[in-house]
Amino acid sequence: MASKKAAQKSLSLAPVLDLNEATALRDKLMALKGSDLAIDASAVERIGALCAQVLMAAAKTWEADKRSYTFAKASEPFLKTMQLIGVNIEHLLAKEIQR
Amino acid sequence: MDMNEIKEIFFQECEEQLAELESGLLKLNDGDRDPETVNAVFRAVHSIKGGAGAFGLDDLVSFAHVFETTLDCVRSNKLEPNQDVLKVMLKSADVLADLTNAARDGGGVDEARSKQLIRELEALANGEMPAASEAPAAKPAPAPQAAAPAPAAPAVNDEGFQPIPFSFDDFGGEEKPVEPYAPTCEILFHPKRELYAKGNEAALLLRDLSRIGEMSIRCDMDSLPLLQDMNPEEAYFSWKISITTEKGEDGVRSVFEFAEWDCDLEVRTVEEDHEPEAGDDELPMQPVPFDLSILDDADTDVPAEADEAPAPVKQTAVAESNVVPIAASPRAEAPKSEARVAPAAQQAAAAASPAASAASAAAAAPTIRVDLDRVDRLINLVGELVINQAMLSQSVIENDNNGVSSINMGLEELQQLTREIQDSVMAIRAQPVKPVFQRMSRIVREIADVTGKSVRLITEGENTEVDKTVIDKLAEPLTHMIRNAVDHGLEAPEKREALGKNPEGTVRLTAKHRSGRIVIELADDGGGINREKVRQKAIDNDLIAADANLSDEEIDNLIFHAGFSTADKISDISGRGVGMDVVKRSIQALGGRITISSKPGQGSVFTMSLPLTLAVLDGMVVTVAGQTLVVPLTAIVETLQPEASAIHSFGASQRLISIRNSFCPLVDVGRILNFRATQANPVDGVALLVESEGGGQRALMVDAIQGQRQVVIKSLEANYTHVPGIAAATILGDGRVALILDVDAVVAASRGQSLKQEISLAATG
Repeated sequence: MASKKAAQKSLSLAPVLDLNEATALRDKLMALKGSDLAIDASAVERIGALCAQVLMAAAKTWEADKRSYTFAKASEPFLKTMQLIGVNIEHLLAKEIQR
Repeated sequence: MDMNEIKEIFFQECEEQLAELESGLLKLNDGDRDPETVNAVFRAVHSIKGGAGAFGLDDLVSFAHVFETTLDCVRSNKLEPNQDVLKVMLKSADVLADLTNAARDGGGVDEARSKQLIRELEALANGEMPAASEAPAAKPAPAPQAAAPAPAAPAVNDEGFQPIPFSFDDFGGEEKPVEPYAPTCEILFHPKRELYAKGNEAALLLRDLSRIGEMSIRCDMDSLPLLQDMNPEEAYFSWKISITTEKGEDGVRSVFEFAEWDCDLEVRTVEEDHEPEAGDDELPMQPVPFDLSILDDADTDVPAEADEAPAPVKQTAVAESNVVPIAASPRAEAPKSEARVAPAAQQAAAAASPAASAASAAAAAPTIRVDLDRVDRLINLVGELVINQAMLSQSVIENDNNGVSSINMGLEELQQLTREIQDSVMAIRAQPVKPVFQRMSRIVREIADVTGKSVRLITEGENTEVDKTVIDKLAEPLTHMIRNAVDHGLEAPEKREALGKNPEGTVRLTAKHRSGRIVIELADDGGGINREKVRQKAIDNDLIAADANLSDEEIDNLIFHAGFSTADKISDISGRGVGMDVVKRSIQALGGRITISSKPGQGSVFTMSLPLTLAVLDGMVVTVAGQTLVVPLTAIVETLQPEASAIHSFGASQRLISIRNSFCPLVDVGRILNFRATQANPVDGVALLVESEGGGQRALMVDAIQGQRQVVIKSLEANYTHVPGIAAATILGDGRVALILDVDAVVAASRGQSLKQEISLAATG
């Protein structure tokens, strides 16, 4: 899924993705809909369930659109939190950071 | 508190939940599509299931589980709660109530019925829900659970999200608790939108949870929509968690204590030997070392994350959890004591937040459960106090010739106070009629089923309050009447259609307060009383003479005669001929009256008027033939001093009194009760104009009026024996016993009806 294309866009996530950020995150993602997307989560210090929901809904949407959706970089807290809340993003991680 | 007491509390709560469930389902049945209503219904079943699980009531759990699964489909809009669906659900609510009762009292339940309903519920959850077939995780769930009570954790879903276990082994051996026994709990955690709206964070709750034991988790994303369809602040994720913790269920629940009302939470202890099986088949372990410290750092910023009002509460909770490492036992008490304070704070915060105002509005006023015996003892004591106060007043008045004294003033204040205390104490016993009304809806459903009629029960004024004794005794007569209304009153659907009526019959049950009494009305829109048939039946049964000339009202009242039934064939439901006379007697035993008004083709209305309390009574104290009697004030319309010119005699002994150009039969109470042998001269006495049950008026003649006062009712039946014409007794201020007149019985006796015989029998015997 993570095939790189010329039209690929990228999105850098904010450090704090808390309850208040969910709407903004969705809007940002909506603006990128239809393109292949590489997400940079390396700056993320904290992410809440609402933002995780948005990210996963986006993954579902991108999949439906047959576009690639990857986490190109991910910070440790980001990965840990996703694990903690039982959201498996292993298959969405760029090969370089897959463990 | 031993286990039985806890169990008893659970059953009490079950009753409340069942009532909540039923009223929610009925609201849905009436077209209410408020998600909060669906949630309330779901919560009710869910709580029953949760509690039942704790007590190992497997039948209850398995049924509740299937019910809950179907309700969940409604909640997630996979299943439209139409009439057919609700019919099954209402029946399921009945079965759930039966199962609860069986669990409490040990009785059996109709297993065939509950099995049938389980099948119907499953069919609803599976068949009418195409979405379910696409989500294999959801579909197989009900089937195995119907068979085995323990709801197992579902399989990994097909999107590939797999459970991730957390083990603390990797970071610090000292933190690994050495536990003699650590049960495994399975948790279903489904946050609601409100949880986030109040600034709580599911991720933090999960992190706190992970601290109390070894857990594996699976996030259920089935309900997650596409990005364009999603509301970023809605709660879509739900979690299935398996945790092995020394703290058990309580420990798990205490983690969620702050968010309890804003999520659906189910915690269940899994049997030890089941655990590996579940782990192997359904929750494959993928041990991942997990360093919580990274998240701990983030905690310092929590207020920024949730900068709404509840944030401080959450913050303290988090801080509390941080202080103590995961070794479970030493801090077992910590979350609990924290929790005592927190919900209140959170509630206050919730009230402040507009988003949560609806939720907090739903929260009931604080209540306590009190043993009914204690209340009754208090009521009795207050009754004694009232009597004592009256006696004291009387003796002061008798001994104080000066009339006005400071003692008198004090006594008046005392009287006011006692009256107020009495009113307040009575209010403790007052309960809304809602539970009884709710029971009736079940009766209607069952009878509608048996008779093949389609019936809609509309209830009004369910919150009307009345003494608990009255409520308890109301259920039986109401049941009879509802059965009659559906079985005899309403026509069959085809006939209704032919008559141009809605094939669905309506039964309306209304309660309201009217002049110090509660009036309960039962109206149906059926064919009304078939007077020809009633009359013929009465003649056949020798109740009336063939040539008797009866008014419509009198014919209608014939159905209250013992041994009267017009049903062509005797059915299970009604028609044994013990219906309406029993109803009338039970209503009368409550100090009530029942009247009928029926319009052919339009239906009948039964009106019951009942006292609000059976403990005290406002009465007029009168003298009859040297005896002191109390006449209930509610019965009296007016009092008058008859003039000789207004008295007219007719027949052998009948007399009428002319009041404002109309005639009213004059009844000599002393004669009727056999206090004297001959009729007294009406001019020497006072006439009390009373309203009788038929709606007609009678003038009761007494010798003199002593005054008006509130009396405490003392049952004659309990202390002596039933005396016809006398409802009860009371103790007066001077310590003497006075009898309370049963006005309706006296009026009926004056009509020369059956009670007269009864009275003379009692008088001679």
